[in-house]
Amino acid sequence: MTDSAGQGRGSGLRLLLTHALLILVCLVILLPLLWVLRVSLLPPSLSYSTDLSAPLSLVNFESLFSGRFPRSYLNSLVVATGSVLLALPFAAATGYAFARFTTGGAVARFSVLATQMLPPVVIALPIFQMFQTLDLSNTLTGLILAYAALNLPFLTWILMGFFKGIPVDLEWAAMTDGATAWGAFWRVVLPVSLPGLAAAGVLGFILAWNEFLFALILSGPNTATIPVALAALQTSNGIQIGDVAAGVVLAVLPLMIASRFIQRFIVEGLTLGSVK
Amino acid sequence: MASIELRGVSKRYPNGLYGVRDIDLKIRDGEFVIFLGPSGCGKSTTLRLIAGLESVTSGDLLIGDQSMVGVPPRDRDVAVVFQSYALYPHMTVAANMAFGLKMRKMPRREIATRVDRAADLLGLSHLLTRKPAALSGGQRQRVALGRAIVREPKVFLFDEPLSNLDAQLRAEMRLELVKLHRRLGRTIIHVTHDQIEAMTMGDRICIMREGRLIQSGPPLEVYANPVDTFVARFLSSPPMNLLPAHLEVDGDGLTVKLGEAIRLAVPERHVPAYRAVAGRPVTFGLRPEDIHEQPPAPTQQGFEVQVVALEALGAETNLVAQPTASGALPEITARLGRQARARTGETVTLYPDLLSMHLFDPETGAVIPRPPLDAPR
Repeated sequence: MTDSAGQGRGSGLRLLLTHALLILVCLVILLPLLWVLRVSLLPPSLSYSTDLSAPLSLVNFESLFSGRFPRSYLNSLVVATGSVLLALPFAAATGYAFARFTTGGAVARFSVLATQMLPPVVIALPIFQMFQTLDLSNTLTGLILAYAALNLPFLTWILMGFFKGIPVDLEWAAMTDGATAWGAFWRVVLPVSLPGLAAAGVLGFILAWNEFLFALILSGPNTATIPVALAALQTSNGIQIGDVAAGVVLAVLPLMIASRFIQRFIVEGLTLGSVK
Repeated sequence: MASIELRGVSKRYPNGLYGVRDIDLKIRDGEFVIFLGPSGCGKSTTLRLIAGLESVTSGDLLIGDQSMVGVPPRDRDVAVVFQSYALYPHMTVAANMAFGLKMRKMPRREIATRVDRAADLLGLSHLLTRKPAALSGGQRQRVALGRAIVREPKVFLFDEPLSNLDAQLRAEMRLELVKLHRRLGRTIIHVTHDQIEAMTMGDRICIMREGRLIQSGPPLEVYANPVDTFVARFLSSPPMNLLPAHLEVDGDGLTVKLGEAIRLAVPERHVPAYRAVAGRPVTFGLRPEDIHEQPPAPTQQGFEVQVVALEALGAETNLVAQPTASGALPEITARLGRQARARTGETVTLYPDLLSMHLFDPETGAVIPRPPLDAPR
């Protein structure tokens, strides 16, 4: 009895310590974000104030919306969504081929991965030159194409892993049931892979949403995306920290929604119950 | 309805290994054939070759007199039930069963009729709107079977469909598949590594090993006349006893000498067949059920053993024993009746029924042929 009580006390203490540590780690991660949130809601004159009772206001958001920011926000949405929609079908096809067949061998698989190892700046200049020639720089189409190309290897790799996890028996069953190889892919593999496609799509969206270097090089004032627009708030009069904070808060919003989405889909695991 | 014929069929993979090699086999229309063998023996590969899910490297494969080389699975009119069941997880039970008919553009009303009929037959009617994830293992297995039945294919291919079921359900489904075969009269190939399924379900067993077909025939015939030690041991549980022996001439007859001291007279009817190998070392084979506590005939010789272990299974008792004679003999297993009197540690005399004996070449494992006993004896 005393033993178990002692044990209870010991484990209680351990629980307390564990939680204290976890809370500390959470604060390390969350504090900067909370700080950004607070700054976004303070008038610019109080941006650096440590007074916790300072009055809140939406003046930063108002100033942001009176400028080019809404345009940039829309640009980002169009570019990120467009690039994912463009890249996903190709990534799905390539990923499926890599997962099911020996297509291209190890060389093709490695080269797809290798493109991710290059520092982006290495391809930034050639792309800039190419887009200049094709009259694509300073257009949203250009950015969509560039991001689709950047996303393609990454999405291919993710989807390859996902397709590998789908039992080949399912396709075999569909094929003996009368489907062509394409029919088996379209009617069975694709519906079963929807969670994977959604997850990959969201990750690609985030990648495009946050990309800065290519956006900076390939966009102009009318086609700037959020990261570029935020960077532009650093003016000769100093950084407009209130506006930046408000912009960051708005920029993070779709990502938060997206990650909720992704989580639900990944956890769901649609293949459950198909085999065994 | 269709017969199946494999002519010298081989499957060679790009890495040079053979999945199956030189298979010659003719399966009659409406026959229930079992492919039996240990894992990796090529039985499932052969099934996939017949289904068209893998391509034949050399040889010819015919279904109903038509060569199937290069014909895609959808045009072979075969249905496969996979070990994993492979139900489409995003479709309901009804949609799973209807999928093949929809692919073949059958009118909707006909599809509904067939699905209902199959669901009725398999006791799935109340589950038609469920998704596979909401079914038990046995129910999934039935859906997989239903998906095959509704199509009314020429050939059913079963790839170890019972191996994920518990023992009781497996015994029930075994019986149901046999009944199904009788009702539908279609050609069925059933792949398994389970000896009981092999012995009880099919018209014919095909035993495979390392990609080759090594013996095929009616179950009891194969059981009574195995072509080599592999088949002899694989087809029953507990497996056939195999003992190193020496065949000696003894006047007009022959004697099997086990170890230093055990001498057993070869029955007269086997003497002519075995005379050719007299004087040579052989492997002596005898099934556990051919070893008794009482002499089957008054003149039958026995030998002494020490009982190592007893497995009382209720209906029968498996006795594992070490022959006491010198000469380093391996342990033997005897399948005795419910009333076995021997106790662990005791020394008892066991009586082999030598009419059922087999002799094998100790090097190749191939049987030394003798006239078959009528099966069952």
